[in-house]
Amino acid sequence: MTIQHAAPAAAHLRNVNKFYGPFQALTNVTLDIPPGKVTCLIGPSGSGKSTLLRCINVLELYDSGEVRIDDQLIGYESPGGKHMAPRRLREMRREIGMVFQQFNLWPHMTALQNVAEGLERVRGLTRAQALTRAREALAKVGLADKENNHPSHLSGGQQQRVAIARAIAMEPRIMLFDEPTSALDPELVGEVLGVMKQLAAEGMTMVVVTHEMGFAAHVADRVVFMERGEIVATGSPREVFDAPSDPRLASFLQGYRERNSLDF
Amino acid sequence: MMETLHRYGPDLLTGFGLTLLSWALGTLLGLVLGFVIEIARRFGHNLLGYPIRAYVEFIRGTPFLVQLFVLYYGGPLIGLRLDALPAGILGLTIYGSAYFTEILRAGFDAVPLGQIEAARAIGFRNTTIVSRIMVPVMMVSALPSLVNFAIILTKETVILSMITVPEIMFQTQTMMSETFAFVTPILILALFFWGFVETISRFGRRLERRFTHYLLDRS
Ligand SMILES: Nc1ncnc2c1ncn2[C@@H]1O[C@H](COP(=O)(O)OP(=O)(O)O)[C@@H](O)[C@H]1O
Ligand SMILES: [Mg+2]
Repeated sequence: MTIQHAAPAAAHLRNVNKFYGPFQALTNVTLDIPPGKVTCLIGPSGSGKSTLLRCINVLELYDSGEVRIDDQLIGYESPGGKHMAPRRLREMRREIGMVFQQFNLWPHMTALQNVAEGLERVRGLTRAQALTRAREALAKVGLADKENNHPSHLSGGQQQRVAIARAIAMEPRIMLFDEPTSALDPELVGEVLGVMKQLAAEGMTMVVVTHEMGFAAHVADRVVFMERGEIVATGSPREVFDAPSDPRLASFLQGYRERNSLDF
Repeated sequence: MMETLHRYGPDLLTGFGLTLLSWALGTLLGLVLGFVIEIARRFGHNLLGYPIRAYVEFIRGTPFLVQLFVLYYGGPLIGLRLDALPAGILGLTIYGSAYFTEILRAGFDAVPLGQIEAARAIGFRNTTIVSRIMVPVMMVSALPSLVNFAIILTKETVILSMITVPEIMFQTQTMMSETFAFVTPILILALFFWGFVETISRFGRRLERRFTHYLLDRS
């Protein structure tokens, strides 16, 4: 397989605050995301998990604090300074792959075109090179035979795997996943988690917002629990799931177990 | 009848030609101007929103005939001295742009934000996002309205006769007043527009199929 993972990057958030009007969605978030590891973000709906993730690639611009990819500040030219120039931001975003809950494939393009488009338009590959690389990425997620399908003719699980192929084809150094399996029928969740596990095993830096506690428990290196825009607890899966020290975390997990009536 | 046709044939052909020309240029330029206005509104400075809104409301709130008179007879007062045909085409362009820009706005608004964010996250520049994603996705919902308005514009072209553009309405009116015959000129006018509009509709449906094929074909 010639899709290489570029050296995995770390991400660092320092005292990050984000407001939507008067509403504070993130409060003093400080988090180190280690390179080559899987960090899972869990927490109740509305706790700011998506906002945190989207501040890492600046789909949302944080209001204060610092977000860095390795050592490089993203979003601002300098801490508290001017907004980053669009060209610089685009350059940094190439390093950051993102996978969305709603897949967000482009409906007018085939699976292959969806993957090749960024290679051609952003990476500047020739059409032929882009198609070759796109086919490799599709093969990697097990969809070599679906390259000519439009998204409307793919199952949810297949669409999400195309979306992952679209991201990894760009050879990102860090990957962000925002509830990648939440929109899927239960029987399709496994195929997507399978691809993600494979990426994790290859040493990709991954930040995963998820409600799949099983995935978090078994694949994550670190689990981060958020509530009301704050990081409440972080630790290894063992620390978080087996011996939750924080009462809010304990009650969140309790609620989850009751809804799903299973153990992990 | 054959005699009248013989006599007025060349003039009628000129009329057909000028109607087609002013429609084609007015529609095309109106679409381009409408697109430019929408892009300026969407990506430009926030303050641009107010003059653009005023422009659209003014054009949509006044009859085309009045706009044309203002342009043709009022233009010279501010040094804009245009012949009838260019004035007519410019008038159609301005009139069309206000409607086209609103159709495009609604179309762009309907493009799911997630599809745009996916492109942004990969590092696409705005121009690429517009041309490669927003326009093709938007066309599915906007194309029928765009074609519909292009058809409405065919019929607005007759108003150019009021500022002496010798298009088809002008020619048939001349024919009527000189021959005192009404049926033949009206019939010619009706047949011409029927064929004209039918051609545009067919072409529009072909375009629609092109932009929506992915919703239909099985791979
Ligand atoms: N664009 C927005 N405008 C206003 N409020 C928002 C916006 N996006 C998110 N929020 C609010 O911020 C909070 C955190 O949202 P989010 O990060 O999406 O939570 P989570 O992903 O954990 O469910 C929620 O209360 C949500 O309503
Ligand atoms: Mg969310």
